[in-house]
Amino acid sequence: MPIPLSGLILAAPALGALALMVVPNRRHAFVRRIAVATTSVSLAGAIGAMVTYHRASGGYQHELAVPWIRSLGIGLHLGMDGISVVLVLLHALCAFTGVLISYAIKERVKEYYLFYLLLITGVFGVFLSLDLFFFYFFYEMAVIPMYPLIGIWGSDVKERGIVRFSKEYAAMKLTIYLTLGAVVALTGLLWLYAASGARTFDLVTLQQRFAGTPLDPSLQRAIFPLLAVGFGVIAPMWPLHSWSPIGHAAAPSAVSMLHAGVLMKLGSYAIIRLAVTLLPEGAAVWLPWLASLCVMNIIYGGFVAMAQKDLKLIIGYSSSSHMGYVLLGVACLTPLALDGAVMLMFAHGLMTALAFALIGHVYDQTHTRWLPDLGGLAHQIPFIAGCSVAAAMASSGLPGFANFVAELLVFLGGWDRYPVQIACGVFGVVITAVYMLRVVRGTFFGESKRQFSHARDAATPFARLPYVVLILALFVTGSWPKPMLSLIDASVRPLIERVAPGRGRPAGEPITVLISTPVSVEVR
Amino acid sequence: MSLPADWSLLAVELAACGWILLTLAADLLLSGARKRWLWALTLSGVAVLALLLGWQQQMGLAGSFQSMFVLDRFGVYFKWLFLLTVAVVVVMTREFGALLSERAGAFYLLLLTALLGMLVLASIYDLLMLFIGLELLTFSLYIMAAYLRTDARSVEAGMKYLIMGSVSSGFLVYGIALLYGFAGSTNFNVIHAALASEPAPLTAQAGMLLVLAGLGFKIAAVPFHLWVPDVYEGAPTPVVALLSVGSKMAGVVALLRLLLGVFQPLAWLWMDLLAVLAAATLLYGNLAAIPQTNIKRLLGYSSIGHAGYLLMGLSTGSLAGARAVAYYLLAYLFGNLTVFLVVTAATKALGGEALDDYRGLSKRSGLLAASMFIGLLSLAGVPPLGGFVGKLLVLLATVEAHRIWLAALGAVNVAVSLYYYLMVVKRMYLEAPRATSPIPVSALTRAALAGLVLGILAVGIVQEPFLARIAAALHP
Repeated sequence: MPIPLSGLILAAPALGALALMVVPNRRHAFVRRIAVATTSVSLAGAIGAMVTYHRASGGYQHELAVPWIRSLGIGLHLGMDGISVVLVLLHALCAFTGVLISYAIKERVKEYYLFYLLLITGVFGVFLSLDLFFFYFFYEMAVIPMYPLIGIWGSDVKERGIVRFSKEYAAMKLTIYLTLGAVVALTGLLWLYAASGARTFDLVTLQQRFAGTPLDPSLQRAIFPLLAVGFGVIAPMWPLHSWSPIGHAAAPSAVSMLHAGVLMKLGSYAIIRLAVTLLPEGAAVWLPWLASLCVMNIIYGGFVAMAQKDLKLIIGYSSSSHMGYVLLGVACLTPLALDGAVMLMFAHGLMTALAFALIGHVYDQTHTRWLPDLGGLAHQIPFIAGCSVAAAMASSGLPGFANFVAELLVFLGGWDRYPVQIACGVFGVVITAVYMLRVVRGTFFGESKRQFSHARDAATPFARLPYVVLILALFVTGSWPKPMLSLIDASVRPLIERVAPGRGRPAGEPITVLISTPVSVEVR
Repeated sequence: MSLPADWSLLAVELAACGWILLTLAADLLLSGARKRWLWALTLSGVAVLALLLGWQQQMGLAGSFQSMFVLDRFGVYFKWLFLLTVAVVVVMTREFGALLSERAGAFYLLLLTALLGMLVLASIYDLLMLFIGLELLTFSLYIMAAYLRTDARSVEAGMKYLIMGSVSSGFLVYGIALLYGFAGSTNFNVIHAALASEPAPLTAQAGMLLVLAGLGFKIAAVPFHLWVPDVYEGAPTPVVALLSVGSKMAGVVALLRLLLGVFQPLAWLWMDLLAVLAAATLLYGNLAAIPQTNIKRLLGYSSIGHAGYLLMGLSTGSLAGARAVAYYLLAYLFGNLTVFLVVTAATKALGGEALDDYRGLSKRSGLLAASMFIGLLSLAGVPPLGGFVGKLLVLLATVEAHRIWLAALGAVNVAVSLYYYLMVVKRMYLEAPRATSPIPVSALTRAALAGLVLGILAVGIVQEPFLARIAAALHP
């Protein structure tokens, strides 16, 4: 029996982690090769899934279903629709480049990669699971490795040499916040399971059942906030976001890449996949609240990012600000906005991963992330400087990068629903431009500083590979978004048609206009 | 076997009695140096009991002995767990040097007696048998807890346990007397029939509550938990392991038999009561564990927290709840024994039982630290480890019993418990060790740890076979 792509993508890092358990401690090169090999397999699988996903038929494809606990209706059911294909690809890209960036780790290498591969497995599992039990199973499995990863290999967050947050504090705060969110969501999921009366954890079966006999609306309204808040913690929804920036700042670069790039998307993904899909009545009541919270994410997160001087904290707060756009897109629940939200998850994930990788390099070379201490690094590390300019441009939503397309779609799609919130969101773009440009100027431009004269650039093709991969992915999907958007749209439209009938077919079909004329880079 | 059919039901318990006498004889006959092989004798005794239990299972033996003692799949399932627990405790005693002085013989004797008590408890069908099983177990534990005669903390632990335990036994006997006065018999069937046929008078209700209070002491439920921290801290570690796994499990087994059998007609009374107690136990155990600085005290409070989850499952009064409790115990057994085995093996090299003594354990023994890490995470309920499935089943049963508030409280307590378990992990993995010399671990302990960790993973990942066994055990 051929193994479906979903199984392959999930099994590769899991087997890698198993293999690492028996590899001797000292064989660092071999350990790294295992990690690279297994994440490459997943990446190949993810690209394969993207190419072979049959858009016309839609729905869940590359399925794998193994009964697990029959008496409770639990099965290991994997599969991908357009939304998950995109996120699996995002995660595969971040995991692959993250493993390459992790070459900088020199201490307790085997343990590091073991936890890293477990984290990667967990996140793939969440994106691929079509079973509530395994969804939670992998979700919590992804959260726990963050504790040792940050605690052992992370660094304290310092302000002028004084420790502001220790890495232990950051790791514990992150783990407890995320677990608390997870168990609240779990309560909601179990309630949903019990109330459905279907005695199954299978998402597809539940979906079909609710299509025929919807859950009692009052029950939906009661369960929805449990899921939205529980999973919202990781999104990170304001005001439950405070674990996130310090978690980013304390984590080693490659972990921040996955954390900001992918882990945060688990929250918005879970809200789309579970909360909105299974509880449309609850969504109708609660999503307007979510939309307003998102504005706080965008504006508040943006302003706080502006006030920071630690590079990682700036990007950390910017991430929680940008995730506001994603959640806003979800809250609008129109095809355009949701297309944009999913696309933005992809674009923002790559962009943040890129940013954290770059900061990691700067920190390794200069041993500081304190913005006032930096400057003029373009002289010493021109390649990194160039990539950083690209990252800043992507982050500020300049055309040519995927972020632009995605944010535009959210704004266009959401305008009719929440004009005030969207207007605030547009303002947030300006804030982003301010702090991103400030970072680039303060770090790379200005006079060359003598104490950084020893700083080395990423010189070899191998060292440049992760950056090139991430920028290329951002650029290609930004300049030619049609393949990805059509993929997302194929799954988003039926979803919206199901949960908010009538909204699935907007007048004028503006999306086709956007897709058929590739946005050119020269638009300035 | 030439035993009459009836007696063959008692084969395991009779063999346990025989082995107790054998250990006694060996202790008297062996000279000083040879006494250190008594652990092997005890372990082989457990193996013989396991063989007999397997034989009983193979022959499909079932039925009741003089309507006092019953052999069914439910009892057999838990007898396996008791044997496993005691086997691991024997391995621990090997690591626990202080016990292996010339008084080791009496210790193994008591250990086997405690095992006999637990085996009897798994098969009770009469309130008197409940009392006998419980006292066999508890009396052995009183003495074992105070076994380090020169250590004031151990003596204090023994005294505390004795006093609190005697009071709870008093509750139990008084409850039994009231129930006997009501039904005219101590047999489960008769009492059940009497409770079902007429609205129970106040005396019968009081009798039930007193019996439950007596058992609440065994499983360390609030408000009968006061002995736990001091006894856990002072008693020898293998004894604490037996207390926290074996004794708690025995209490829950008895509760399962009573609540789902005899006291079923009074479910209206005990369901809500247990739910409230579960909430209090959960909160108290987990919150009080946070400020602890001694690993055994911490595990003591955490074991109170676990009693909360067990009560939660029991309070549903449903088959799903019983199944969840049985699964929870299985996962708890593997997780807790792993942790206690590590504590036993590491204490001497670390120089103490304070949490700070665990600093940098991962650099001194990767195996001990990794086992402890996995054991603690399983206790916290993190997938893919056994504790997660146990907690999930308990929460699910609670939700299905329409107690969302209790399920939510249980869920939140997962995060609370994760905090203090991670504080141990933090010391082991994130902090620097005081000494750097590697900690030697004996081959037997290594094998036991590997087995226990595999058990944790198996219970967490391949649930179906375990659930099938449990389902079969609960459907007579």
